[in-house]
Amino acid sequence: MPLEIEGTLSRTGQSTDTAKASGARLELRNLSKAFGGVRAVDDISLDVPAGAFVSLLGPSGSGKTTTLNLIAGFLTADAGDILLDGRSVADVPSHKRNIGMVFQSYSLFPHMTVAENVAFPLRMRTKLSREEARRRVADMLALVQLSHLAARYPRQLSGGQQQRVAMARALVSHPRLLLMDEPLGALDKKLREQMQFEIKRIHRTVGTTVVYVTHDQSEALTMSDIVVVMHQSRIAQVGAPRALYDAPANLFVADFLGDSNLLPGTIVEAGSAGVLVEVAQGQRVKVTRAEKAPSVGSRAVVLIRPEDMSVHAGPTQSDGMDSLAGTVRDISYHGDSYKLDVAVGEHALKVRLARVSGNGVELGQRVVVAWRPDAARLLPAEDSGLGADGAQP
Amino acid sequence: MTALAPAMAAARPGLLSRPSTVPALLLLPCMIWIVFFFLLPLALMCWRSLASEGFSLAAYAVLFSSPLYGKVMGTTLKMASIATVCALVLAYPIAYVLTVAGGKLRGLILLFVLIPYWVDIIVRSFSWLIMLGDNGLINKTLIELGLLREPLPLLYNMFSVLIAMVQIVLPITIVTLFGAMLRIDRTLIAAAKIHGASEWQAFRTVFFPLSLPGVYGAGLLVFILAFGFYVTPALLGSPKETMIAQTIMIEASQLLDWAQASAAGAVLLAITTSIAAIYNRYFSLDRLWGGSEP
Repeated sequence: MPLEIEGTLSRTGQSTDTAKASGARLELRNLSKAFGGVRAVDDISLDVPAGAFVSLLGPSGSGKTTTLNLIAGFLTADAGDILLDGRSVADVPSHKRNIGMVFQSYSLFPHMTVAENVAFPLRMRTKLSREEARRRVADMLALVQLSHLAARYPRQLSGGQQQRVAMARALVSHPRLLLMDEPLGALDKKLREQMQFEIKRIHRTVGTTVVYVTHDQSEALTMSDIVVVMHQSRIAQVGAPRALYDAPANLFVADFLGDSNLLPGTIVEAGSAGVLVEVAQGQRVKVTRAEKAPSVGSRAVVLIRPEDMSVHAGPTQSDGMDSLAGTVRDISYHGDSYKLDVAVGEHALKVRLARVSGNGVELGQRVVVAWRPDAARLLPAEDSGLGADGAQP
Repeated sequence: MTALAPAMAAARPGLLSRPSTVPALLLLPCMIWIVFFFLLPLALMCWRSLASEGFSLAAYAVLFSSPLYGKVMGTTLKMASIATVCALVLAYPIAYVLTVAGGKLRGLILLFVLIPYWVDIIVRSFSWLIMLGDNGLINKTLIELGLLREPLPLLYNMFSVLIAMVQIVLPITIVTLFGAMLRIDRTLIAAAKIHGASEWQAFRTVFFPLSLPGVYGAGLLVFILAFGFYVTPALLGSPKETMIAQTIMIEASQLLDWAQASAAGAVLLAITTSIAAIYNRYFSLDRLWGGSEP
């Protein structure tokens, strides 16, 4: 591995810096790590293709930061292996892994200027001439649009600017893997969205593989090629953002990503056309998309996203819409949309309506909540660590 | 406005419920103590240095013109500087190990650092007599081993005074440095390592530069302490190692020249205060007691 790094560096050193450095392929093999008997990472395996942007998404304590620290080499795994481009890095210390990292608190060196911070990896890793190093630093600062602040010290910069310096420092030596640990956590919402865009732009420019840790689902969904949802030290599901949102594999992912209505019930009919689930006394819901045909009589949970539902004043059963009748219990206005709480039997359905269609709805009104049957998904009922809806037997 | 004024006066909280009252009351006993037992004697000392026979600066003139005081001051500066540098050099590695060590090891080292600190200065100075004397532990052992014929002159010289001074100030040097090092963000070291720095490079380029303000702070503290040493040079030194505090003592208790002693005391005070002021100007004293970075 170190030999290859040298090769990469001297090559890119000669060529122009706008040339794409190729990212490394990252593989985690049955990775485990415990702290004092508590498993922080429990048998995790993951393949990250070269150049991909992967998010580790999960609530705090789900093991995502520990996984990142294992990849960085700050921690040693109890079991399992980490491979970069097919080669194990288990015995390679952090400073020889050729990884760039952006820390949650940025961790810029306070006693160095912006330019010195960015030059640091070059000083440590390469034998570039001073001229060449200066040019690389200048190019990097131009990429993050901070050329004018090169002589400042980190404490003289705003959070967003420090974030950019941290990016520049992490990328200047053309690492084949970039680790980012909740890098936008300390920024306000507007700046965060701007930086998400910025990070994606930089990722497209440099082409390095990125592993991005976040607990913010919208951040993970908007930025990533692949999202790894983590839960209780394990991987709950891996997939493209759309696949995860549209077809969650289990209740945790369904509940964690976005808003969801999870209706537990019993399967009363299973055929080629779909599945019928009784979610309450006499109230049946049709699910047309189910991967595995479940057996009649077994327990299951139906997932319907609040934004897939519409509300009607009376029974308008046209074009095969599925529906449940209920009473509007709560309405909250969110600018672009309304969020409704509709009581259906003992269930409370969350419905999200676009601004225009929600204007007429009133509190206490009897309504019919309708959705297209292919918007409903069937999930296995048994799952660990789930919210109230699914935990009901 | 006029209608509002009485209402505002009525709304004004009573003396006891005002937010600044409680801190002031809590500070009061301490302030009284400091005024009566520190500031007042200090003021008396300064007054006495000026007013021996009417108002005159005679005592100060003697202080700055007599070769004796010049020599003593030179010795004091030299001894305090050497002791400070030696203490810093010895303390730095120990403080560093304390910083990186885990809980149990850290506790153990701290214990060994602090036990001597709790022993009285006079006792510690005396213990060096036993170690360094002609019939002391070191000479006796070396002679019995046949390595020496005559005992080494280890006592009553600059060496013996310095070794004891360093030993006495070492615990406080270590603890002060340790406190400063603990405040260095450890993720900066991780950041250095992931970006290509080996353990040693990370120390040299990141940890050490960031620890320097702590080194200066500890150095200042130790220097001021060493500057006022009295018992140690008196017990372990020869007249050549006479330091300023001893001279003041001789003036006051043997020559009974209180004006002269007061003047020397005032100058000693001025020197240490100005060192602290210079440090505060550049590094901010707050850091010594755990304040934030400037």
